[in-house]
Amino acid sequence: MTRVLIVEDDPKTAKEIMAALSDHGFAVDSAGTGREGVLKAAAESYDAIVLDRMLPGGLDGLGMLATLRSAGIETPVLILSALSGVDERVRGLRAGGDDYLTKPFDFLELTARLDVLLRRRSSAPQRETMLRVGALEMDLLTHTVSHAGKPVELLPREFRLLECLMRHAGQVVTRTMLFEEVWNYHYVEPTNVIDVHIGKLRRKLDPDGSRPIIETVRGAGYILRAAG
Amino acid sequence: MRLADLRRTTSFRLAVLFLLLFGVATTLLCSFIFMQTRNYLDRRAEEVLREELFPFRGLNAAELHQLLAAHVAMDPHARRPITLFGPDGAYLAGSQLGSSHFQIMAEPADRPFAFTLQRDGQSVQFRGVALTYPGGQRLLVAQDMAGAQAFRGLLLDSTLWGGLATVVLGLIGAVAAGVGAVRHIDRITRAVRGIVRGDLSGRLPTRGHVRELDQLAHEINFMLGEIERLMEEVKGVCDNVAHDLRTPLTRLLAGLERARRRAASVDEYEAAVDEAMQEIRGLLKTFAAMLRIAEVESGARRAGFTAVDLTQVGADVVEFYEPMAEQKGVALGISDGASVPMQGDPSLLFEALSNLVDNALKFTPSGGRIDVRVFSDDGGQGFEVSDTGPGIPAEQRDAVQRRFYRAEQSRHTPGSGLGLALVSGVAGLHDMRVRIEDAKPGCRIALVGPRGLQG
Repeated sequence: MTRVLIVEDDPKTAKEIMAALSDHGFAVDSAGTGREGVLKAAAESYDAIVLDRMLPGGLDGLGMLATLRSAGIETPVLILSALSGVDERVRGLRAGGDDYLTKPFDFLELTARLDVLLRRRSSAPQRETMLRVGALEMDLLTHTVSHAGKPVELLPREFRLLECLMRHAGQVVTRTMLFEEVWNYHYVEPTNVIDVHIGKLRRKLDPDGSRPIIETVRGAGYILRAAG
Repeated sequence: MRLADLRRTTSFRLAVLFLLLFGVATTLLCSFIFMQTRNYLDRRAEEVLREELFPFRGLNAAELHQLLAAHVAMDPHARRPITLFGPDGAYLAGSQLGSSHFQIMAEPADRPFAFTLQRDGQSVQFRGVALTYPGGQRLLVAQDMAGAQAFRGLLLDSTLWGGLATVVLGLIGAVAAGVGAVRHIDRITRAVRGIVRGDLSGRLPTRGHVRELDQLAHEINFMLGEIERLMEEVKGVCDNVAHDLRTPLTRLLAGLERARRRAASVDEYEAAVDEAMQEIRGLLKTFAAMLRIAEVESGARRAGFTAVDLTQVGADVVEFYEPMAEQKGVALGISDGASVPMQGDPSLLFEALSNLVDNALKFTPSGGRIDVRVFSDDGGQGFEVSDTGPGIPAEQRDAVQRRFYRAEQSRHTPGSGLGLALVSGVAGLHDMRVRIEDAKPGCRIALVGPRGLQG
């Protein structure tokens, strides 16, 4: 079972995060201070750490992260912060964070991003030339896609959109994640425009609507399922 | 206003200082003129004396006496006395010098000298030259200096009166300047007190006597204008925040109450919860947008500037919105152009342009078209979005850039009223201006910055 450590000083927020992560199927531990967080992270092995930036006591989030990294603990860390500035985000990632999420956030966004972190860790990046999800095949060299043996014509951006969904097949990919990965801009509210792109992609993959493979997760994003 | 205030004013002090300087300079100049004039007059008198002496040289006694007699006849009051003395200094012939004893023999020969004679009870100054004859006799040729003395007195008097007039006029001027300055400062003080008491529409008087002070007052008035505008904006924002947040909060509360009252099944409760979550997401979005505008306006994001190609950003935005435009039946196009490099925040530029395109899509009816153009010409560089929608009336073009402003006709379209405020913030961050024009029909909004500033 995937084990996640939550370092968060506000007990109510910690409780909500723990509840959301257990519902998602993770085993969750929590720590209230940076010091406690370092001790727990060093003593036991976690698959991921969710870290609040603002922590009471001498050791704040970034300080704790630096301590962990200097001690050689490379557990993926997702930073939570009320500070939304881009420079804050850059500082967090530079300090050794693997992802950065601004409060307030949707729990679906949190779990989706954690899934990505965990996946990234378990499967070392390999040079794939073919992606396969169910009947869907994508050739990364020739930039061709076929569904159930039939070729699908995609525009370059649609290709990258589908590639992103296929790489995270079976996981929720939020709109923000899609936007950041496919368009390479950091932008908070691209929501309904992404839906239109997905809609177009859906129609191309499944013109008669008989075999829907991209599911919408309400209020959060999309998931590509390996349907028959 | 007290006299002490007057004395302390810079204008008064300056005027007095200049008065002093001017006084010293004038005194020096007048003294110089006075000395030069006096010397000139003296020399001139001596020359005349020598010339008059000239015909008396080498005359025999008879000729001399004849000439002297002729002179006495011409000058009976001895204003220009010519007198012959014996070797013992006794009067021999010529003009009578009066009762006073005069030692002609003590004076040097051939060199002008001054002497005084008593005439009618008054001392009269004379200047004379003596000529010694071979027999030891001496001839005195002299001139009454009363005229020169009178001229000298006149010169001195006029200099003194002139000086006095200068001092009096100067002091009056200094007092006037000082009083003007003090009154001006008093007016400014009153104006400032009014503003401090809360009348932000008050301005400093700018028509005083001191130009520099007026210039300063102008600048301060400009600043006051800005402050007033900002205060009003803040007030407007507060009112709008209160209003814009109260509406969704009321809906949220009403929805939850309805669920509490009526919902019978889990499905109904779930629907109510989903609805509530939707409202809260909207609220959070509004907050996030406000924070972003504040962040952008604080200029902190300048630290993250990199080289950006505006043309690329434009192409990305158009590509991003293309499917949506297609769905709405609006033609969205971008004119091809060379790359337009600048220093900036690509995400913010993308967001600003997206907002413009998004707005254009919202207001352009089906069948219309939206054109994005990235340009770089002599007028500057930037991008513009023109649509064939209803356009923005001229009188609302400033207002639409304010936070939460929503034109009456757009009250019922979705949106937070923060889009153009963010665009205008992003523009400011990049030293760009927002230009809203009538595209006839429709609206053209451009962000224009200085060209090639950052290359």
